[in-house]
Amino acid sequence: MDLSQGIAMVPVSAETSPTVDRPTQAQAFADAMGTERADDRRASGLSFGRANDRGVPRRTPRVSLIVVLPENHVMSPDRLAEGLRAHGNQDVDVVVACAGQPTNLGALQRSVGDAQFLLAPAGTSTEDLRELAMRQVPGDIVTLLSGALLPTAGADTSLLMTS
Amino acid sequence: MRSSRPLSVIVPVRDGSATLARTLTAILASELPRDDYELIVVDDASSDSSAELAARYADTVVRLTMRKSGAAYARNRGAELAQGEVLAFVDADAMVRPHTLPRMLQMLAEQPGLDAVSGSHEQTAGAPNLVSQYWNLLLHFGEQMQAGTSGNVASPCAIIRRQVFLSAGMYDEWRFATARLEGIEFAHRLEDSGRNVFSSTDLTITGLKHWNLRSLCSEVWDRSALLARSLGYQRTRAAVPSDVVFTLSRALAPAFAVLCVVAFSAAFLPTPDTAAKAAIVLLGTIALNFPAYRFFAKIRGIPFAIVVAPLHLLMQAINGLGLCAGWVLRDAVGDREPDAATQAYAEVGVEIWPPVPRASGR
Repeated sequence: MDLSQGIAMVPVSAETSPTVDRPTQAQAFADAMGTERADDRRASGLSFGRANDRGVPRRTPRVSLIVVLPENHVMSPDRLAEGLRAHGNQDVDVVVACAGQPTNLGALQRSVGDAQFLLAPAGTSTEDLRELAMRQVPGDIVTLLSGALLPTAGADTSLLMTS
Repeated sequence: MRSSRPLSVIVPVRDGSATLARTLTAILASELPRDDYELIVVDDASSDSSAELAARYADTVVRLTMRKSGAAYARNRGAELAQGEVLAFVDADAMVRPHTLPRMLQMLAEQPGLDAVSGSHEQTAGAPNLVSQYWNLLLHFGEQMQAGTSGNVASPCAIIRRQVFLSAGMYDEWRFATARLEGIEFAHRLEDSGRNVFSSTDLTITGLKHWNLRSLCSEVWDRSALLARSLGYQRTRAAVPSDVVFTLSRALAPAFAVLCVVAFSAAFLPTPDTAAKAAIVLLGTIALNFPAYRFFAKIRGIPFAIVVAPLHLLMQAINGLGLCAGWVLRDAVGDREPDAATQAYAEVGVEIWPPVPRASGR
């Protein structure tokens, strides 16, 4: 089965500026290392490096975080942002993998400004979502989290549901 | 990045997509609360989709790129990331039973003086073909013969206190990029430092790897040659007598003695019948292997024992040649070392990901 059919990578601030690339901290680090050029990465078609980046020597491992939101999973933007803050830091590439498009994707994106969103067709299983996201992230060390297990923030506002 | 959990399960994999799903599913089916352990898969530069497959089940996937570095190296990278106070190492072609990991944890909890527990192979292999069944039963035979003594603290499944693992210097990734001998060397090192390792025959796993004649010959050769070259046969025999190299060679030395006696005697015998002399040698060898054949017959029946008897002799012959080659190389060339580029990187101390292999205690 070709898991890649029907998925879409949604870059940061896609609603307002779909062509804006992501000035990631990992990119800045790579530039400082002198091992990768930002222009090369922009040319890849995604706003962050793909699997081909992993062949480039680096001083430290690139870290990615995948948050999996299964279909019909209710997630507030605040909770997602809090959860990412608890699990990540500025040097982490974050991908939120959703089965179906959240009803308010824009709000979710604004709450986690640096994250990429992977939108798989509704009905995609959690396992398939994890595998799909794994194919997209550039990390040498990839942590996978279930959205349902993210720590709860103080206020649960603007609940979102994937559809 | 992750919350601390009591146990970290580390699975090194290289091109293991054929068995990895069953391995990880079995771990997740363990009688342990899911929040009590983290599952880390370290992909050793696989050319298949092992990393993506691992992502379906694991909490963390580590992708080692650039070069294949071996299971010892992969396990060490996993251990460096692990948050658990106890580390469990499970091979990517091994299937634990639901109680295997919980009981290992329980043993460590109940016996503070115990530092590591290693599991053993079940009687039956996951792959149905004859070669796989023979190899699995041979491993099981050796482990049963030496139950309770130290073991292979790596393959197929072992558990160890994190602090002990780190203070002992982790696996020797410098020398053991192949042949699955890092666990033997590590067990030896633990025993030398006064640590207690227990090899359990009750805590079993099912080996899933599909062996054929070629891969098995290669495995026996690699293990025998590397063991003799890097560790020294006699030195490690005292530490890990249950290893399959010793299981194979247990009857090999007496058989070689019989061969020499017959050959010597033949020189003085009037008969020129070499077939008769060869038959005498063969019968002697079979007689010396009788304990193994009896075990095979007891477990799998007499037809199985008869069928695998020639295979067993072949493995013993390769084992003997491998040991001799290892001894010669040890004296002529010295211990096994990584390639010159790796040594140069290590000497300069280049900081790079994945890191340059390093030797324990060096």
